[in-house]
Formats: sequence, structure tokens, C-alpha cells
Amino acid sequence: MCLSDRGLFSGYTAGPFYDEMFASQGCARSHYARLFEKLGVMAPTQFEDRRKHADLSFLLQGITFTVYSDGRGTERLFPFDLIPRILPQSEWARIESGLSQRVVALNLFLQDVYGKQLIIKDRKIPASLVYSCRHFRREMIGLEVPHGIYTHVCGIDLVRDSSTGEFLVLEDNVRTPSGISYVLENRLVMTRTFPEAFQEHEVLPVNHYPAELSRILRTLSPRTDPDAQIVLLTPGIHNSAYFEHSFLAQQMGIELVEGRDLIVDGVVVYMKTIYGLKRVDVIYRRVDDDFLDPLCFRSDSMLGVPGLMGAYRAGNVALANTPGNGVADDKAIYAHVPTMIRYYLDQDPILRTVETYLCDRSEHLSHVLSNLHNLVVKSVGESGGYGMLMGPSAARAEIEAFREKILSEPRNYIAQPIVPLSVVPSYDASAQCMAGRHVDLRPYCLYDGQKVTIVPGGLTRVALQAGSLVVNSSQGGGSKDTWILRGEC
Amino acid sequence: MLSRIADSLFWLARYIGRAEDTARILDVTFHTLLEQAPQPHGVRWEPILSMAGEETLFRQLYTEPTAHNVFEFLAFNANNPSSIMQCITKARENARTIRDRISREMWEDLNSLYLTLGRFDPQEETAAGPHRFCGRVIFGSHRFHGVSDATLPHDEGWDFLRVGWALERAEMTARLVDVQYRNLLALTSVDNTPDSHQWMAVLKSVGAYEAYHRQYHSPIEPARVAEMLILNPQHPRSIRFCVTEMQSGLRAISNTAPGSYANEAERLTGKVLERLRYSRIDEILDDGLHPYLTGLIHQFNTIGEVIARTYFYYAGVA
Repeated sequence: MCLSDRGLFSGYTAGPFYDEMFASQGCARSHYARLFEKLGVMAPTQFEDRRKHADLSFLLQGITFTVYSDGRGTERLFPFDLIPRILPQSEWARIESGLSQRVVALNLFLQDVYGKQLIIKDRKIPASLVYSCRHFRREMIGLEVPHGIYTHVCGIDLVRDSSTGEFLVLEDNVRTPSGISYVLENRLVMTRTFPEAFQEHEVLPVNHYPAELSRILRTLSPRTDPDAQIVLLTPGIHNSAYFEHSFLAQQMGIELVEGRDLIVDGVVVYMKTIYGLKRVDVIYRRVDDDFLDPLCFRSDSMLGVPGLMGAYRAGNVALANTPGNGVADDKAIYAHVPTMIRYYLDQDPILRTVETYLCDRSEHLSHVLSNLHNLVVKSVGESGGYGMLMGPSAARAEIEAFREKILSEPRNYIAQPIVPLSVVPSYDASAQCMAGRHVDLRPYCLYDGQKVTIVPGGLTRVALQAGSLVVNSSQGGGSKDTWILRGEC
Repeated sequence: MLSRIADSLFWLARYIGRAEDTARILDVTFHTLLEQAPQPHGVRWEPILSMAGEETLFRQLYTEPTAHNVFEFLAFNANNPSSIMQCITKARENARTIRDRISREMWEDLNSLYLTLGRFDPQEETAAGPHRFCGRVIFGSHRFHGVSDATLPHDEGWDFLRVGWALERAEMTARLVDVQYRNLLALTSVDNTPDSHQWMAVLKSVGAYEAYHRQYHSPIEPARVAEMLILNPQHPRSIRFCVTEMQSGLRAISNTAPGSYANEAERLTGKVLERLRYSRIDEILDDGLHPYLTGLIHQFNTIGEVIARTYFYYAGVA
């Protein structure tokens, strides 16, 4: 589909990056053709109306996240861009099998490092690397977890490399990944804002996620009681993902609890209800390991439940995700996931990873230090875009500061070449036109010990600043609805 | 139901109720005074401040109780914990912490009320007078009530909302009658004619003006106004009606049969209700309206505390 100079996209130029929508100047890729036809004829003012409508809808629903960097804890809208990110089903199928393979391997790795540690004994992954992970939990060694599942919910970040057009895994999030609520809300708002676009496409649905998560949580219950009590543990209203916690609890019909609502008595967890204490069987916890139980982890935690880990160890309550998962999404361990896939599954990885330099290896370190201006440096235990250096855009002083940090604590840093992320046309409100903006993709994977379920698509995050490669919401990123089109190649 | 959630629902209802009551009194008083002979500010506005129970705070923040200051104080002032905006903000905060347990419609309704009221400019509104703002608050409260009724399952959560609403209303009506009765009777004795406009304002502020006329077919008499607002079994803002509603909500929560009680909150509520059922207004007036109403307000406070101890707090469990 080639159209030139049509309303909304007039003046849009495909830049040097892989453009998800256009194969070349003015020529939409086949899976974008019908949408381009619809939107292309839309007047900018009409589009602007729809955009305001969508924003208002998020505002009225109070779908906001809280930013603390300005010191006031302001509620902000997570910017939503109306141009969807579309992938054909054939491409999605490959991503899906690649992600499933990865989730299963990560789960086997966690079983192993907290169990027999064969991968270490066979010298595939160095013991020192595993034990030096900030989120490795000695407390979990030898503990039998329900059905052997650690990675109930994973959010794996993918990016498309503009130079090859191939999807690469950028990082694994197997602790308490967030964002799924935006996938579901974005879809809802999109169907309300652009109903006509859906009529012409067969977009695979996403709204079975809460039901599938709820089913998996239910299977973990230590009691066979059909009324097994499942709860979602949140740090509370001040957490930036609070909206998501309450959204998921409501969608699953389970109780949303804070640490202060729970109490452990005789190694059993109870919640405080108006009719007295009621036993809790499964906790989908969105509180980090560190804060889960002041008796076991950080003793100054006010968010957790004293004695929770004792009840967990006794098998009286199930936790999802499992504590200690952070060892698997450590950014230095990331470099070894292909090894895990080969070691545990005897398969070749379907999805490739980004070349990664480990700063605690002397040969890597010298390369990193002499190429800081060309690399992205990440702190291994962080997430959410914090603790990062983007070499090419960093000031000299910032680079030097990172050099000091790396030298003083090499194990804490890895470096990667900058991946030229693909772009999707996005509306630039200040310039009032479409412009290519960099995106990533975070699909959400649910694992019940038998099979991995992935809702088609996931969260497409977009760096709304021109030229920016950082898509995290805490760093000014927005999101898009993500469509997988049935039957499209 | 989690104790914390019950607590939030109860207070959510109370904050909304308080915002509505304040808006009603403010609106009616303001417009009645427009038709009155000029009087010192104090005479005009002191009663409304004592109804809100915030005279001391007002004096710390303002020099004089002018219409402008009183409106600003009761509607917008962030330092006044009972100002309408503060109540709505706290109601929304409560709703936000339990948004998974209330209906989506309730949350969106309250959130949009909060956003709408936030767009009112205090400067502009104080200049324009309270009608526009107060009207929006009253309407917002009614709508929220209706949305809740129509979308929330009528389970314990609903009952805690009902109890919160009823308790807040009962207490506010008691304060209103207490303050106005004293105040208006004092005024009457000066020139010896009952000030019927003021009494109309009292009735209007609780939405009972038309109902009064249907009930009594007579000119407005202070004793009848008091009877209507304290003892009437049907008017939704009379104290007796509200206490009946409290009793029914509390019984639904504990699943208690009529004629008995499951806890101290129900026992006290039942006791208050029996007195209201079998009292006549002339007896109450003979014994002194002021002590009677202060007694009621005291009882309502106790009932609120006992509800919290029964359902919200776990003694000895941090």
C-alpha cells in the first residue's frame, strides 16, 4: 500500500531506523496497509479529537502512576499513543515459541541453583557469578516450592534491531514485572476510540490474562479447599504500580491486601476481616523480596508480614513469584541464558540476546572502559531504567563518574552495544505531526509448570522524546496498544 | 471483608456526607442572608461555623467572619480538615485504596467529581457566591449515592457505606437543629416575631421544606420544625430516620435478628432509637432541647468509636 501526502502522515519520513509501519517512504507494510488506509485520510483535527478523548478516558479512570522524582509524588498519566504497534501472526509465533523456551529454561535454572546446582557443578556457569548476585537468596536453598514453579509471571523485554530487523531479548523480568494492566486498559480505550479500525482487522484478544493468572494461582493452594483464599499483596497506595495491583485484584476477584492486613499465627497466614481472622492460602505478592518479611529479609520493612517466610517454608502458604528469582534476571546472568537453554533443554535459543560485556572479566572490562561513549552500561540488579549510562548521549562528566563506579565495583556492571531500536509512527503533540519514535515490546508470560501462556502482543513502550532510546515510564516513556493480526504473514 | 476495607468504606461515606451537608448549609444560609436586613457579620455567620465545629480554627485563620471568608474556609481551605474540598479529597483517597472493592462506576464517578471540583477556581467562586459550587457538590453526592446503590453488591460493604452515611447525617442534623434553634429563638425574643425566613432556610438546608408543608399544612413553627427534623419517621434526614438506617445496616452486617443485639454498637443504636420512637417534641422541649441534642451528638460519637473497635481494629495485634 503506497500512498503519498495523505492527511495525518503527510511529511512523515522513515528515518534510518527499521520502521514498523512503513517498508519505505510512504509505503506501508502489508499488515499495516488497512490501518494506513483508514488513518491516512483522517484530518489532523479529527485525530486530535480522538486523542483528547482517549486521554480523558485515562484521566477519569484514574489510570495514573506516581512520580517521586519531583519530591511531591505527583499522579501522572502514562502517555498513550494512538497509533498501534502491529505484528503479523507469523512473526508473533516465532516470538512466542522463543519466549516459552526462555521461561522454561529460567525456571529450570532457578530450580537448579536453589537445588542440586548441577549447572554450577558442570562448570557451565561460574559459582562466583551466581553467589554474587544481589538478589540471590540463601534462604531459598533446598526449599521445595509448590509444583516446582518459580517463574509464574515473567515480563521479558524484546527489541527489534534496526540493522537486521530481528527481535532480540533485552532483559528478563522474573521478580514482580508490572505493566500488564496497561495492556488491557490500552486495548479497552483503543476499541472505544477507534472502533472502526477493529472492524477491519482480526486482532487477537488479550483480556483472558486475569483469568489465566487466577487459575494458576489457584493451583498453588496448599489446601484443596475449593474456597482457597488468594490475595494480592501490595506495598500500598503510594507504590507507582498501585493502579495495576488494584486492577488485577478486581479483575481476578481476589482480595487486595497490604502487609498490615495480614498476620502470621502458628506458621499460618491470616487476614484481618470484620468477622475475625481468615486463613490465606496463596499470595500473589507485588512486594519485593527485601520487604516481604522483616524477620527474614530487611528488618526495617514496614510493608511486609513478620513470619511470612516461616509459613511459606512450612508449606502453609504459596507465594508467586517465588522469592529469590532475582538471581535469574540479574543482568550478568542474562549473558548466560543461551547456555541454560542448551544445558537444560538441549535446544538452540530461538531468540538471540544482545552481546554483553561483563565488567568483572578483565578482557571485557578493558574493552568497556575504552568504549564507554559507544556503549550502554547497566547496573546488574536494577530495573526500571535506573542506574544506566547511555554512552553516546552522556556528558563527559557522567561517563567519568561511571568509569569510577565500574572500577570500584566491576561485578555490579555490564555493558552492551547500543541496539538501534525500531520505530513506530507516533503523534508528537508539540509539533502536531507524526514522527518515528523508538519502541520495545514486553510480552507477559504465565507459567503453570506445564505450559507457558502468553497473551498475544504485550506492552509496547515508546520513547516519546525525539531520538530517545529509553522507554521506561519513570523516564518519560509512553505506551501503545499492540496488535497481533490473525493469519497475517 | 477486610477490616481495612470496611473502615475505608465507612469513612468514604462519611466524608461525602459531610461535604454535602456543609454545601447545603452554606448555600442556603448565604442565599437567605441576601434577603435579610444587614446585621453584623458575627450574627450572620457564627452559627454556621459552630455547626461545622470549626470556630476556633476559623479564628486562627481569618480576622472576620465575612461571607467571603466563611465560604472560602468551608469550601476550599486546605487547612480546614472539614472543608468541602478536603472531604472530597479524603473520600477519593479512601476510594483509591479500595478501588478493587468498589465498582468501577463508583470510582470513576467520585474521581470525576474530584477532578471537576478541582477545576473550580476558589477566587472566582468566592466572588460569584456559593451556589454554583455547592450545587455541584450536592448533586455529586446524590449521584454518588445513586451510582453506589445501582452498581455495588448490597453486601457488608454496602452496609458499611449505609451506616457511614446515616451516622454522618444524623449527627449533622442534630448539630443543625441545636445551633439554629438556640440562635433563632434568641433572635425572635428581640422583636417578638418568629423569623420564618430563617426557619425556612433550616428546612431547605436539609431538603425538608416541601415535606414540612405537606406534613403540617401550617405556617412554620419552630417546635414543628424541630419535630420534623428529630422525630419524623419518614424524612431521610430526620435523626430518627437516620438512626433506623444505622440500626438496619449494623444488623445486616452482624446478621442479627430484630429485638436483639450482637455488639455494643447495636445496643447503643437500639437504645437511642427507642428513645426517639417514644418521645414527643413537647417533652423534649420541656426538658430542654439543647441538652437533649448534645446528648445525642455525644451518643453518635460513641457509636462511631464502638463500630471502629468492633470491626476495624484488632486489639493487641499491630
